[in-house]
Amino acid sequence: MSEYDDLSPVLVVLLNNARDLARARDEGWYRIPVHRAPPRLAAEYLAFYQTRAFGDQAYSVRYLAAVRRIHVLPRVQLLPDEPNHPRAREEYYKIEIGPLEALPRPVPSRALRRITFIPTTLGQLLTAEEINDLWWRDDPQQRLWLALRSTGLPVEYRFETPQPEGDVVVDFALFLPQGRLAVLCDTSDGRNDLRETRLPDYDLAATGWEVLRFTNAELHADLAGCVAMVLAAAHRLGALPGQGGHE
Amino acid sequence: MRLGFAVKVLGQGGLRENDSRRWQNNPHLSVSLAYLRDIFHYLHRAGIGMYRMSSDLAPYLTHPEYTQFHHQLDEAAEDLAAVGRLARELDLRLSFHPSQYIVLNSPDEGLAARSAQDVIAQAEMLERMGLGAEAVVVLHVGGVYEGHEAARARFAAAFERLPAIARQRLVVENDDVRFSVADTLWIHQRTSVRLIFDNLHHHNHNPQALPLREALAACLATWPAAMQPKVHFSSPRTEMVTAEQRDPATGKRQQVLQPPRWTNHSDYLHPFEFIAFLREAAALRSFDVMLEAKAKDLALLRLRQDVARYAPDLAERLA
Repeated sequence: MSEYDDLSPVLVVLLNNARDLARARDEGWYRIPVHRAPPRLAAEYLAFYQTRAFGDQAYSVRYLAAVRRIHVLPRVQLLPDEPNHPRAREEYYKIEIGPLEALPRPVPSRALRRITFIPTTLGQLLTAEEINDLWWRDDPQQRLWLALRSTGLPVEYRFETPQPEGDVVVDFALFLPQGRLAVLCDTSDGRNDLRETRLPDYDLAATGWEVLRFTNAELHADLAGCVAMVLAAAHRLGALPGQGGHE
Repeated sequence: MRLGFAVKVLGQGGLRENDSRRWQNNPHLSVSLAYLRDIFHYLHRAGIGMYRMSSDLAPYLTHPEYTQFHHQLDEAAEDLAAVGRLARELDLRLSFHPSQYIVLNSPDEGLAARSAQDVIAQAEMLERMGLGAEAVVVLHVGGVYEGHEAARARFAAAFERLPAIARQRLVVENDDVRFSVADTLWIHQRTSVRLIFDNLHHHNHNPQALPLREALAACLATWPAAMQPKVHFSSPRTEMVTAEQRDPATGKRQQVLQPPRWTNHSDYLHPFEFIAFLREAAALRSFDVMLEAKAKDLALLRLRQDVARYAPDLAERLA
């Protein structure tokens, strides 16, 4: 990793067990079902988030590998020893990779959380202190993330929460002593056709979230004001003295 | 009427248009196709129905020294078919526009042969993606060598020598300094090649003084009745430009302001020019419009809003 391009796209993927790690390391490939592939699949590198099965190395990203090829194959061709698997005919992306390289510094999850995929860049991966630093963000969200992180509040980025009509992604989730705060960003001002589908705020409220919503224009024009609103709500929900820097 | 844009996506950060790694890092068409798949999903979300793909989708495919890259179309055959299926599912019209280094009419036989190879490869990719005949490879006539008419005739001859797979996909566009619509029509009369009308090129280079509607109608008529033709539309950049010049007295380089060149593309499309263009073409057959603007998809999305605001009667025609 002596010479690298900061902006090289990286996809962080899950490693659920030692067998998948062995496949990546020894056979040089990783698989993703086509129907579950993320909106941003293509990348120059894969990095691997290790789940609970990895004991003292769990909940962290420790390895990456260069992407060589990306092919679409039925599962039965990927795993010929499992011809009777219920998804044997289903299409998968087979991502062929080069040798696994250990990151100079593992990237842990403070909250030991479950993730699915994280699109990021090599520069972010190599400088991240924790997994919330990894997500590629539209500029206003990046500015809000940096501002919220500097407050010391316990913020999780892109937190998935189950709702009756399917998982909702909360842009910034704060878990506080007296409640949960969801901060949502409408980053598609003026382009409603790009707006992500979200459950109405009251549905989140009905499942125990307090909701704040900011538009791109608000974040551009008055970031400090937006952060102040988050801090006020966080303190209302029992953020501890010292968290948020206002005490 | 579909609106499209070329190659680079600006409306969603992080989307790349091809595997741009250097040869030492073994870039591959299959990885480019995964980038393309991500772009297709973005186009669908944004409601954009036409897109020009990067000409570098298959890196080093025809490079004479790097033979290890020459078999990518076979190696990624299934992946080309899969991404083509996705394009059809999402109802996307796709095209290629090879770079200015692809010169079919060059008197240098080596360059002409390499250019033909590139055109054939891009046509083959469209074929392997299973796309209809409206998915085309757009090319300019090329350079003026040994006289304008000889260069024009050499293009026609080079076109006739291409294999059927390339002839069926290749279309020719008028340019802004050498070969006008009258020239491309001359080539069409000899080869039946379909023509792309480019409005800004026509304004910049129209020595025959063909009226715009007449030139546009003639180009549209080169497409079979059952096939939707396509045109290119752009607005000229009007800002002053900064250039470097050497001071004749001191010999030092200095920056000077110069007037714009009307061949350069603007960031966004001029909505009133576009609306006037659509009104001029109102009585002609329907066509799709590839927008060429530096702000890419952002320019397309803005143009849609502008048309809805300033010419709501035309807005329904734009997909």
